[in-house]
Amino acid sequence: MNNNNPHIIIIDDEKGLREGTKRLLEEENYTVDTAENGLKGIELIKKNDYDLAIIDLRMPDIEGTDVLKELKLYRPNTVSFIATAYASFETAVESTRLGAYSYIPKPFSPDELLHQLKQGYKQRLLLLEAERLKIEREKNLLEIAHEKSRLKTIIEAISSGVLLINKEGEVVYYNNATLHKLNIDRLNIGERIRGKLPDKIAAILDSFLVSDEYHDKSVTAQIEIIPQNRLVIDATFSPVPHPDGSFAGVVIVLKNITGFKQVEHIKNEFISMVAHELKTPIAAVLGYIKIILDDTIPVTYEQQHDFLSRSHIRLKSLLDLINDLLDISRMELKTKQREIQKIDIKEILESSLNLLEIEISKKRLEITTDIDYDLPELKADYAEISRVLLNLLSNAIKYNIENGKIFIKIHQSPNHLIIKVEDTGIGIKTDDKEKIFSEFFRAKNKFTRSISGTGLGLTIVKRIVESYHGKIDVESEYEKGTAFTIHLPINK
Amino acid sequence: MKILKKYNKILLVDDDYDLLEQNKLLLESMGFSIVTAESGEEGLKVFKEEKPDAAIVDLIMENADSGFILCHRIKRTEQGKKIPVYILTSAAYETGYKFSASTKEEKEWIKCDGILNKPVSVEELISKLESF
Repeated sequence: MNNNNPHIIIIDDEKGLREGTKRLLEEENYTVDTAENGLKGIELIKKNDYDLAIIDLRMPDIEGTDVLKELKLYRPNTVSFIATAYASFETAVESTRLGAYSYIPKPFSPDELLHQLKQGYKQRLLLLEAERLKIEREKNLLEIAHEKSRLKTIIEAISSGVLLINKEGEVVYYNNATLHKLNIDRLNIGERIRGKLPDKIAAILDSFLVSDEYHDKSVTAQIEIIPQNRLVIDATFSPVPHPDGSFAGVVIVLKNITGFKQVEHIKNEFISMVAHELKTPIAAVLGYIKIILDDTIPVTYEQQHDFLSRSHIRLKSLLDLINDLLDISRMELKTKQREIQKIDIKEILESSLNLLEIEISKKRLEITTDIDYDLPELKADYAEISRVLLNLLSNAIKYNIENGKIFIKIHQSPNHLIIKVEDTGIGIKTDDKEKIFSEFFRAKNKFTRSISGTGLGLTIVKRIVESYHGKIDVESEYEKGTAFTIHLPINK
Repeated sequence: MKILKKYNKILLVDDDYDLLEQNKLLLESMGFSIVTAESGEEGLKVFKEEKPDAAIVDLIMENADSGFILCHRIKRTEQGKKIPVYILTSAAYETGYKFSASTKEEKEWIKCDGILNKPVSVEELISKLESF
């Protein structure tokens, strides 16, 4: 089309005029095509979108006005001039009626022609700009039409409830999620919603609706929709202004936070258990100190010594407990930040047994191992797998009898590495078996009274094993012994 | 401190050996004779053997309700009906669930003469026994 040079077609049966005009215009940087009759002109017009066209009125095949009609049909933005020697007022009117921009009487002077074409080219640029704007506007209108249905689709797709209420307290709009979040079956546009809302939501809504003025202030509240944490939502109320800034209504966004609430509840229970476990040994130590410091209570040197060594034991186990708690809290972070590397389970077993050597020899325990020759490499966090083995082995020692045995078997199944730690200790009562993995559970019987522990060792083991998508099993017979078996998936 | 002669022998039951020892020592230093047990089961056995004049029983021992059960068993005996039996616990403080064994409903199922919250001072303990 037009780069910088105006593109023009001259349709005229008079060869001299055609060629002369072409030469003249080319000197003026026009790009010029010519046609010797009307039909050829129309052919070219269909092929090219010319900026300008000069059409002779009288040609041997068809009339210039017919060419003009075709031009208007195919190229409404091409600026056209009718050229004729039979200049008359009527032809001029007729041509402009048919859409010609202007009329050039023959013969014409170069200056006159160039002046006319210059004006015509300005018109051409205006027409093109108008065309561009028109296309753009049509596109925008189409977009607005789409926008409404798109917005609706988006709001419906949001998992949060979106509920719009006008200042009369009537439902203006709601999405489907609103119904689930409020646990109601249906809402009708235009109905007064207050009666269907939980008291707390209704109260906040009222506080918005009493004021006629618009305040840019949102309110958020957590509301239990179904008791006992079965459905808890977070509702955010925001005022909606009219375009003029006055108060139009309230939009309420309802989010399901039941999951968070349940986790929060578990955490709170855990914290209160932790508080109890921390308080008990401190109370015991405080009690001993108070007695030693109290001059009115007669205490022998042996008793004093006993009290201090008891305090020492309690404080030591308190420290163990705090370390276990730290391990648990680190574990939560660690599932995101653990150092996964190839680990050698045999090496971990050896170093764990080394660490526990003193305890093992104190009780004169016999350790037997049965380890597959060709074990696969495990990809895991070294510290975590060490912790698992240490905890299991130290339980097998602590809850064993004097001169007891510990049997360690490590082998593999097609998909798992299987580690079994078996002891000949005090065993676990059937009732206690399911509780041993819960936080702070410690079996209480005549054997365990003198064994210290945090009640978190197996909790930690289970959490680590499960974080690798593994599992832990326990077999036990009270007063006979216990065997823990861990299945860790092998990542090939 | 005035010594209550009417409660000469007191049974203390607690699964925390240290707390048991300390309370024993404190009460002994005030002239009481103390017998102890570390579980509900053992508590009943010692109660029957020693026939104490009062019993202070921990709530959560081998089971969460060991103290309640022991109180029931003590109160079923002739001796048990005559003496004060108190439950000593930190459960109320930690769970937020407060029971006092003073309402009609509570008396239906808690067969003891009162609930003491841990930690309890010996003075408080004695004043409770005195008021029985």
